[in-house]
Amino acid sequence: MIINHPLLGPRDAAEFIYLGDAALIDRPDWQAEDAAEQFHAYGYLRDNVAGPMQELWYHEQGDRSWLVVTRDTLTHEITNVELARDVARNRGRSV
Amino acid sequence: MSDFILTSEPPLAGFDRRFGDTVLKAPKDLAIVSIALPLGDETKAEKAIKTAFDIALPAMGTSDVTSDKSTTLMRLANDQAFVLFACPTPDAERQIAAKLKGAAYTTDQTDAWCALELSGPLARPALERICMVDLHPDSFAINAIARTVMEHMGAIVARTDADTYLLLSASSSAKSFAHAVELSLENVS
Repeated sequence: MIINHPLLGPRDAAEFIYLGDAALIDRPDWQAEDAAEQFHAYGYLRDNVAGPMQELWYHEQGDRSWLVVTRDTLTHEITNVELARDVARNRGRSV
Repeated sequence: MSDFILTSEPPLAGFDRRFGDTVLKAPKDLAIVSIALPLGDETKAEKAIKTAFDIALPAMGTSDVTSDKSTTLMRLANDQAFVLFACPTPDAERQIAAKLKGAAYTTDQTDAWCALELSGPLARPALERICMVDLHPDSFAINAIARTVMEHMGAIVARTDADTYLLLSASSSAKSFAHAVELSLENVS
C-alpha cells in the first residue's frame, strides 16, 4: 500500500505506523460537566466503519509527521491524505 | 590510574570497498547537527539560517550546499533540518548554535549516525534493491533526500551527484547497515 504524503510524495506503508480512528484528534474538554462520560467515549467507543474512514497514521520512518488518511476499509483505496496538524488547526484544536 | 586511552572514532571509520568502478566508503570527520525550528518562530529561524549559511532552508525532501561547498543543509521535516560539515573536533553543535544565535534549537547528532558514500555506476542498481523510495533520476533529482528504511533499518538517502549518494543510518547498527549495502552491491556486481 502506498500513502501519498502531502509533503514528501508517495511512500510505502511500511514507513508508517497506524494508530486508528482520527476522532482521537477531538479530545474532550476535561472541565466539561460530563467529562468522565466524554472521555469514556473518547477512549473506548469506536465505530466499526465498513467504507471510507479517517485514520491517523504516523510517518515514523520518515519526517515523523502525523497524517489523517481517508481510506476505504473495504477496498483499502486511499482517497485523501492530509497533515494531522492542518486537520487539527481547521477544527480549532492546535496552534 | 588506568593506562587506557579512549579514542573517539566514527563507527565505520576507514571503511572503503570497491566494486569495479563503484566505491562504497565512509566519509571522514563528518559532523551532523540537527536544527529544530521553534513552534511559532519558524520565520525568525529561517531568516537566521539564511544569514548563517547564506543559503535558504531547503524545501522538504531536498538539500542544499553552501557556495564554498563546505556545508550541506538537509530538510528532513517541516520543522527539522540537518547540517552536515567536516569537523574533526567535538564542538560541531556549538559552532552551529553560535551561527544561529539562539533562533533555533540545535542538537549534536554526529555520534548517533553512521555515514557511507556510495558512488559509481552500480550505486543506483544496488540501492534500488534495498530502498523503497523511487530513486529514478526523474523523481529523485540531484540534491533530493529521503528519510526512509532500508532492510528494516532507518536511513537517510541523499543524492549528492548524478551517481553519488550519501547514506546515513543509526550508528548502533552501523555494521549491519554497511553489510546490507555491501551485499546489495555484491548482488548487482
